[in-house]
Amino acid sequence: MKGTKLDSKQKTYLLITIPILALFFCFNTLPLIKGVIYSFTNFRGYGDYSWVGLRNYIDLFQDGRVGRSYWFTFKLAFVTTIVVNVISLILALGLNSKIKFKSALRGMYFIPNILGALVVGYIFNYFFTYILPAVIQMVGGQGNSILASTKWAWFAIMIVCAWQSIAMNTIIYISGLQTVPQDVYEAGSIDGATGWAQFKHLTFPLIIPFFSINMVLCMKNFLMVFDQIMALTKGGPAQSTESISFLIYNNGMSGGQFGFQSANAVVFFIMIVVISVAQMRFTGKKEEQL
Amino acid sequence: MKKLCTCFLLVSALVFSTILSGCSNSNAKIDGKTVVELVQYKPEAVAVFEQLAEKFNATHDDIYLKVDSPNDAMTILKTMFIREDYPDIIGIGGDINYSYFIDSNILADVSDYPGLQKIKPAYVDILEGLEFVPTEGTFGVPFVANAAGVLYNRQLFQENGWEIPTTWDEFMGLCDEIQKTGILPFYFGFKDTWTCLAPWNALAVDLAPADVCQQVNRGETTFSKEYRETAEKMLQLLQYGEEGPFAYGYNDACTAFANGQSAMYTIGSYAVPQIKSVNPDMDIDSFVMPGSSSPEGNTLNSGVDLQFCVTQACTNKEAAYKVLDFLLEHDSVQMYLDDQNAVPCVNETFELAPMLDGMKPYIEEGKMSDYQDHYYPSEMAVDAQIQTFLLNQDVDAFLSKFDTDWARYNRDIIAMVHEYQAKHGNQ
Amino acid sequence: MKEKINERVNWPVTILLIVGLITVAFPLYMTIVIAFKQPSEMTNSISGILSLPKSWSLANFAEAMRVTDFWHSLGNSIWITLVTVGISIALHSMIGYTIGRSKARSKFYSFAYLYIVSGMFVPFAILMMPLVKQTAQLGIANWVGVILCYVVFYMPMNVLLYSGYLTNIPMALEEAACVDGASSWMTFWKIIFPNMKPMHATVAVLTALGTWNDVMTPLVIMSGSGSTTLPLAQMTFQTQFGTNYNLAFASYLLALLPILVFYLICQKQILNGVVNGAVK
Repeated sequence: MKGTKLDSKQKTYLLITIPILALFFCFNTLPLIKGVIYSFTNFRGYGDYSWVGLRNYIDLFQDGRVGRSYWFTFKLAFVTTIVVNVISLILALGLNSKIKFKSALRGMYFIPNILGALVVGYIFNYFFTYILPAVIQMVGGQGNSILASTKWAWFAIMIVCAWQSIAMNTIIYISGLQTVPQDVYEAGSIDGATGWAQFKHLTFPLIIPFFSINMVLCMKNFLMVFDQIMALTKGGPAQSTESISFLIYNNGMSGGQFGFQSANAVVFFIMIVVISVAQMRFTGKKEEQL
Repeated sequence: MKKLCTCFLLVSALVFSTILSGCSNSNAKIDGKTVVELVQYKPEAVAVFEQLAEKFNATHDDIYLKVDSPNDAMTILKTMFIREDYPDIIGIGGDINYSYFIDSNILADVSDYPGLQKIKPAYVDILEGLEFVPTEGTFGVPFVANAAGVLYNRQLFQENGWEIPTTWDEFMGLCDEIQKTGILPFYFGFKDTWTCLAPWNALAVDLAPADVCQQVNRGETTFSKEYRETAEKMLQLLQYGEEGPFAYGYNDACTAFANGQSAMYTIGSYAVPQIKSVNPDMDIDSFVMPGSSSPEGNTLNSGVDLQFCVTQACTNKEAAYKVLDFLLEHDSVQMYLDDQNAVPCVNETFELAPMLDGMKPYIEEGKMSDYQDHYYPSEMAVDAQIQTFLLNQDVDAFLSKFDTDWARYNRDIIAMVHEYQAKHGNQ
Repeated sequence: MKEKINERVNWPVTILLIVGLITVAFPLYMTIVIAFKQPSEMTNSISGILSLPKSWSLANFAEAMRVTDFWHSLGNSIWITLVTVGISIALHSMIGYTIGRSKARSKFYSFAYLYIVSGMFVPFAILMMPLVKQTAQLGIANWVGVILCYVVFYMPMNVLLYSGYLTNIPMALEEAACVDGASSWMTFWKIIFPNMKPMHATVAVLTALGTWNDVMTPLVIMSGSGSTTLPLAQMTFQTQFGTNYNLAFASYLLALLPILVFYLICQKQILNGVVNGAVK
């Protein structure tokens, strides 16, 4: 009896999985394959084109601008991921505890995520250009806009990225915290586990799956950062904040470099997949251990 | 299992019905009228184009003109081309996209269009110059142009008795004089990289040959040679701007100029609406960038801002030409000029907006050359390179990078030019 | 000593959270003030931008609504968002379930998992041109194509979320149903699906958020269809050489409200849907 049951279960699973995979294939993989094909051409996105073989890939590894954009993007993604995860975990714990005005607070903290890029861009431009320097001057420092500094502009972008995406990661952590049954805390508090100890030994291990989801989503959001850069610096000053997506979009779609930027996208894609598979293997092992 | 089946049925029904309900593309005729579809790329001109279309449709009973002025029209046009859904006429600027469209065989030859006779030859030549390699035919009908140079606050100038400069030395003298009064000569807004191109273009037309990019493509000269003076003069301008010009954007600069914080702004006439939105009563005039050491050496920096191109896919060229005839009529052009403060390309007398007073002699004489950046591929990011240069202030590094990057980003075009030369011999 | 943890209001945390709110309140204040001002009130000075508008007239909002054809674009946006969210919850929870339950044992499913999740890292810019062509060829260069694209774009994230959440739903639940003789299809809809309620709400919020503000997908796919979404209509405020920030801000404030309400509704679901009783 058990055997037939399993078979029908497998069959149902396959009947669910395969059509959805097919849909995914049609609207994600198929266009991707076309993109890979274009990466061997000098296609502009429309009109006639010709084959150029591996030229785009060879150019890619010799292009200093592309190299710098990789360095910038990974630096930004790494720092922002840490900042966002720490803050949103704290925020989630706070918003999940017994507090007053819970709904209002949760609603307010969610707002950064919905404000349109134009609004965010204008306000933070204003903040970094006028308000922050004035504040620094008031406390006696040298007040220059950090958006105009090739050294520090990435920091401003980091702040805005974090500001916007903390809301999303907080929601995921909050929904993770819901899965922690109250009796775990009750049992824990009998053992005297409170505060940090309670978090470290009880709460955190239980929400590790959500921690790894947030890591992956952060990686995705910040490695592919585009909106915030368009809103704040448009790649400046002196091309110091050009992200990979910025180049792919601006030069590939708006410019005439579609083929070359397709090659860039392919390399970028392979790179991230390798990283995230490694990361998932790593956190996957951790999850099993716990 | 049953539920599973119904689910699949539902999903497939959804997909199927959408395929059926999907494309119902309008065909060439509505009520027996030939439909001419015009897509133009200036969303700010949507109102005047609606009026023009209304007027056209009221006076023509065999042709229906449908005008579309989408936001982000360049992206939309490209997606239309990918779908092979070509409008009959496209209204675009005379920039590198136009060159790409010619090269991709999207545009039709309109040299048989009689209305071209009405157009100022300078603008037809500008379009000619945008072809990567000399191509048989004419592919666009210039409609209006814009002009860039220096905008100035006429009231401030009159109060202080400042004179319009005609040479570089006079210009620098004026800047010193303005600075002494405590008013900023310029407010640049170089945070938005594209604004770096405005003074660059205006200086370059005075100081470098108009076809410098083609010359370089033919291997006759280098940018290091031709752009040196332009680059040096850019640096000179920089010292008359606000402190830390890379912190402030276009919007800040417009606001500052509108509020009288600066006396001049090195930008094109297109910035006037934004400036006037902050200060509606402001009296703005402009003058040609005096980059040269003699008044005769200066040229107006003017390019085709809007031209009409008929696509190769257009099935009824005659109807399209009738639309063009209407758009080039004196009244239609004047209507557009009043709305958009543009410079006409039609060789007739028009009433120009007051902020073009200072440029009028040049416009009437036809003494003008195209924006240099219309030849720059956007992916080369010349605007960002100029910003980098103004930050580092290293002329040599900037120019040598310009030359190497040019060769890299224009490789296919240069190869095309060389092939053409080999075939046709050096002119 | 902490036995009353559930009943007592935690005031220190409440106060800290309220203080932290300044990071949201300040930008929001600027947005509101600018939305009420006239272009001529815009300056480059701090006191100028932070000052209250001369008059609290709703003219900007009315004008913004007129320019964007507000109700019409709002309707389109809501329609696209809701359908996307609905389909996403149904399809993604199903595949998240089959993959999540099988990926540890089966090579096929663990491959499917990696395959879908890695789809997250394909830059949209590279997919854009082929998708434009593909949707046009299928005749779905309209809202249908946009929704299908969204369902696929958010699949990686949602599969990640659902299969992650599944690890916290004990296998015992299904095994009990299995013993009772329910088919796996029924088990999913009767037992698993309701138990994933907090995750449905989370997925709904995140998916809705992404679709609500997205410009690029409708821009390139729907541009020929004549209909428009709110973010598309809002592009009107920004032209090459000028931006009307006052109207734009008014319009963005209006666009913010529906999604905020949606979030608050979902938020309740996240809280109420705690894997209750059954878990213990």
